[in-house]
Amino acid sequence: MATTTESTPAAGAKPFDIVATYNELLRSDPDLTMPIAAIEALVLLLTHSPSSTISETLDLLAQSTAHLKKAIPNPIGLSAGTDLFQRYLITTLQRPGQLGPAGDFKAIRTHLLSNGRLFIRRAKESREKIVAFGRGFIRDGCTVLTNGGSRAVASLLQKAADEEGGPSAVRFRVIYVLSSISMNIEEPSGEPEGMETVRALRAKGVPVSTIPESAVAYALGKADMVIVGAEGVVENGGIVSRMGTYQIGLLAKAIGKPFYCVAESHKFVRLYPLGQYDLPIEQHVIDFKSEEDITEQSEQPVDTSADRPIELPLCDSVDFTPPHLISALITDSGVLTPSAVSEELIKIWF
Amino acid sequence: MKQHQRRRRLGLRRSVGRLWHHFFFRESTLSPHHATQGPARRPSTTAIESIKMADSVDPALTSPSTTAPSQASPNPVAENSPSQSLPIRDSKSAKQPAQSEKGTSKPKDAPAASSTGGDGASDKPLTPAQLKAKAKAEKAARRAKEKADRDGGAVAAGGSAPDAGQSRPPNTPKKDAASGGASQKGPKGAPPRRGSGPVTQASTAVEPKKKKEDKSVSVFSHLYGQQRRTTVNGAAKEVHPAVLALGLQLRDYVVCGSSARCVATLLAFKRVIESYTTPLGTSLARHLTTHLSHQISYLSTCRPLAVSQGNAIRALKLAIAGIDPSTPESSAKATLCDFIDNFIREKITVADQVIAGSAVEKIENGDVIVTFAGSNIVKQTLLQAHKEGKRFRVSIIDSRPLFEGKSLARVLANAGLDVQYSLVHAISHAIKDATKVFLGAHGMTSNGRLYSRVGTALVAMSAKERAGGVEVPVIVCCETIKFSDRVALDSIVVNEIADADELVPANPPQQVTGLPDPAAFTAPPVEPKKGGKGASAAPTQDSSASARTPSPSPLANWKDTPHLQLLNIMYDVTPAEYVDMVITEMGSLPPSAVPIVHRMSTNI
Repeated sequence: MATTTESTPAAGAKPFDIVATYNELLRSDPDLTMPIAAIEALVLLLTHSPSSTISETLDLLAQSTAHLKKAIPNPIGLSAGTDLFQRYLITTLQRPGQLGPAGDFKAIRTHLLSNGRLFIRRAKESREKIVAFGRGFIRDGCTVLTNGGSRAVASLLQKAADEEGGPSAVRFRVIYVLSSISMNIEEPSGEPEGMETVRALRAKGVPVSTIPESAVAYALGKADMVIVGAEGVVENGGIVSRMGTYQIGLLAKAIGKPFYCVAESHKFVRLYPLGQYDLPIEQHVIDFKSEEDITEQSEQPVDTSADRPIELPLCDSVDFTPPHLISALITDSGVLTPSAVSEELIKIWF
Repeated sequence: MKQHQRRRRLGLRRSVGRLWHHFFFRESTLSPHHATQGPARRPSTTAIESIKMADSVDPALTSPSTTAPSQASPNPVAENSPSQSLPIRDSKSAKQPAQSEKGTSKPKDAPAASSTGGDGASDKPLTPAQLKAKAKAEKAARRAKEKADRDGGAVAAGGSAPDAGQSRPPNTPKKDAASGGASQKGPKGAPPRRGSGPVTQASTAVEPKKKKEDKSVSVFSHLYGQQRRTTVNGAAKEVHPAVLALGLQLRDYVVCGSSARCVATLLAFKRVIESYTTPLGTSLARHLTTHLSHQISYLSTCRPLAVSQGNAIRALKLAIAGIDPSTPESSAKATLCDFIDNFIREKITVADQVIAGSAVEKIENGDVIVTFAGSNIVKQTLLQAHKEGKRFRVSIIDSRPLFEGKSLARVLANAGLDVQYSLVHAISHAIKDATKVFLGAHGMTSNGRLYSRVGTALVAMSAKERAGGVEVPVIVCCETIKFSDRVALDSIVVNEIADADELVPANPPQQVTGLPDPAAFTAPPVEPKKGGKGASAAPTQDSSASARTPSPSPLANWKDTPHLQLLNIMYDVTPAEYVDMVITEMGSLPPSAVPIVHRMSTNI
């Protein structure tokens, strides 16, 4: 736990700031996903907190989770991690024996912390498991269409390329859909999300074609399958993912190509959106304006006060792909049909 | 003449029913339902009184026979053969208390006996099997048996009536005139089975042909098996009064709705357990289960058990079986009563609150919510959402013959919600503005399909297949107690058929739902007498068809109309694809998760 040691001194001095820790963790490790970062932040919180009873611990956990969720514009992925961690702790505590409610709290606490770390380690390993399950889907001579900057998809494709044994033995091709909106807020002209993966794949000898989102329908005829990542997998087996995934799913369904989603099982979140507009986040993708509004807005300085509800920047906006568009979910607990997600979730929660 | 007879029969039947109710009410105070029920069925101070009242309905019609006070159970017979009936009546009247249980079946025998020479009044409800056997025996030695039949005949059940009628020579002589028809009816009609009523009518129309045209819809013929019980006659002696009463309430839709039926059943069983004493030589854990199964089989003859009832009973039996035989009886009973209370609280009361709570979150300002018929949990949800200050409209789709949506509409409108009420044929119109569909459930099957009041599938389909619009999410609110491990592929294999006469709109629909009928007061004088019955849905239809004259529905004579069959089916199956979300107390699920949750909730 390199991150643990890094942040410990800072936290000792002033009250532990869960949000800052979370952001810091995300920044320091590009491979870290949101749920894991959240769990890691919570484990750090526990190490720093002087709680002495179980209920105090759980209370603290619940409070900081709520705080964290409120501070982050898109808490979907994050809440998957925090809820899971909380659940994990509770079930651990309920188990009878020395570590149960009857045991010595100090022992319980150490146990919790070590378990929390174990939890993180397992979560990080899940990507390798996914690759093992998913490799069979990428066969010789096929063309894969993908989008976004999912690390799980990237590692799956790269492993598949490695498998072929070097540049000469390339046997699959990739069509990469690049978002027209830059992913980097600081420099709008920067390269779109996913370019890194494209370069890596090309370096491994995989032919990659990049297309804009508007060309998806055109290009799908040449693709054999679609593989996408997900920010969260919801209870009915649908996915919450980078804006644009839903339309790819619709097109794939219309054209009859299989649509696979790669996601770690810690991204399963207890959420049940009924449609695009039923997500628990504020995003103003559709923003009606008349000429008047635009002039008015340009005159007014941007209000940056803290009271303003956090809005999701357009580049971070997400959409919801309903389960009937998804052929299968490739996860670290196996390849699941969308309807099996709820079973997995129920297993975790009850 | 037919009408007269019918009236008469009804009157008698009613009197029997009333008598029984009377009996129950005195003996057992049942759940709240009962209380409400009591007044509705006119409290007659004595059984005899009530009988008289009933009789009075058709004094003119009923020749001499009507007078007999004793007729309570066997009446029809008496009517048919007036001259002979008198002695019989007397005997019956004397026997009344004892015989009443055995029931109406006797009447058949009685008429036969009278005509032939005293075959006499063996009036007991007969089980079909017994009946057949009996009929044969009778042929062989009718006369000799006279007396024997009275006593033993009781066993034979009303179901067999037709057979008996045919087999008996004695009857035929009577048939000639009205009396003949009556005699046939007598046996069938006397045990006031709902189903049997219609049959008898048919038979009267074409006297010689008993078999008549089969009025069951052939595709559903496997569902016609058992007619719903019409009286408590023939119930096993072990059946507790509370259960007896509940059975009739279930039959009449007084207690209606899957959860309500489940709760009422459990409460009745609680009373059974409270008044139960373990017989010597057995243990509670063993004997109580069989004792309960008498109650259960009685209930299931009144109306097929709901999924929730089945699940609750299974849980209760499991709890009984889990009792240590060494536990003293009183504490074992206390444990079981606690179990029942907890079960109701956990699986229904609190579950409903949780479901309503999470369903409310799905309602947003500006929504137009479509719902079908009258689900209690949906009502709770909508009321709570309204209380939380959400602004939305509700569009209630309702259907004949139960009109369950009316009471929902009334409650919601009284609470200040914006309500639109329409019948199911207006669905395409109602669905046009809809943003969400909320449905209640009778049960959910293991393949994720929704088994609910007939018409639900139509509403769900309309929502999903709505032309030119965004899909409307269909949300089902359902307690996990309603989950079943069965699989339903269509609405045909498993379903419930109610009396087709319910479809004959002879009565103002208010009588079906039990609404106060503004027009009722203008109704013919006959009404008041029958009023008591009116409260319950079932009986009214019969009366309407015959007694109520002015504008008979075109369907009124459907039994006599060749090639016409009516189908009154209770449920249908909504495919899982039409259901977006099932809200349960264990969270929101896709329909595909039903079997998993069911497994978990039953195994733990």
